[in-house]
Amino acid sequence: MVMQPSNHSSSQQNLDAIFAALADPTRRAILSRLAIGEAGVNELAEPFDMSQPAVSKHLKVLERAGLIERAIDKQRRPARLTAKPMAAAVNWLEEFKEFWSSSFDQLDDLLETLKQAELKEPPNE
Amino acid sequence: MSELPTYILEREFDAPRELVWRTWTEPKLLSHWYGPGVETVIHKLDVTPGGVWLNEMKWGGNSNYERMDFTEVDPPARLVWLHSIADADWAPTANPMMPDWPRVLLTTVTFTEKGNKTLLRLTWQPHEATDAELACFKSALIGMDKGWASGMEILTKMLAEMQSGTTPSSA
Repeated sequence: MVMQPSNHSSSQQNLDAIFAALADPTRRAILSRLAIGEAGVNELAEPFDMSQPAVSKHLKVLERAGLIERAIDKQRRPARLTAKPMAAAVNWLEEFKEFWSSSFDQLDDLLETLKQAELKEPPNE
Repeated sequence: MSELPTYILEREFDAPRELVWRTWTEPKLLSHWYGPGVETVIHKLDVTPGGVWLNEMKWGGNSNYERMDFTEVDPPARLVWLHSIADADWAPTANPMMPDWPRVLLTTVTFTEKGNKTLLRLTWQPHEATDAELACFKSALIGMDKGWASGMEILTKMLAEMQSGTTPSSA
């Protein structure tokens, strides 16, 4: 997997997917429940007085937005929150990138100074 | 060869390649730009295969240590090193903030001439990483790729609020 400087429109689409997923109070409540630990559809359906297919539909929206992942376990397919660990990792990489980008701004300035100095003192033949 | 998750950062510098190379390989020049808003102290810089760069960054009474072990040096085109967070004795350590962050990142810097300018390409790959480290780095890449950095921050805050019992204002 290789990552290139990100394409703005696809970033925007994913942000849209996240915010659309979060706009629904039931989905926020599901996320809030998953923040405590993973849960199957049955457990999730209970407090909301909803049918399992209805909960599954919400889970699909959350999954598409990348906020949760679901185990392969065919019987129960517990859902688990991926957002929090991912947020921490993303923030760390973002900081790493910031560190280098800001360093490179300083390097730009240094190179400019070095070039000026070379112009004033041409190297000896 | 298995495909390692790779992060790429590119930048063009308006200077000839030899000059850019010097800024990465001479301690006085390197400490001048490496590390924004901190005092960078280079304890050792031996830019040869097997040589090390021992780097301290000081700010507000704190110090961060990094250890870079050079594995390839091809002037003025390519530098490769193993990058790790270190303790005060220069031994690689886990990231205290994120235990699953890869301990060692294989860092490759290439310098390519573009007329009078230089295209610099910096890549990071987890080096001899555990599954947990690979997963951590991969999820960071996916998140960055999707432009989630800011969205995730908002979400984390929201989740914290939801768990503390306050109702988040509607999105």
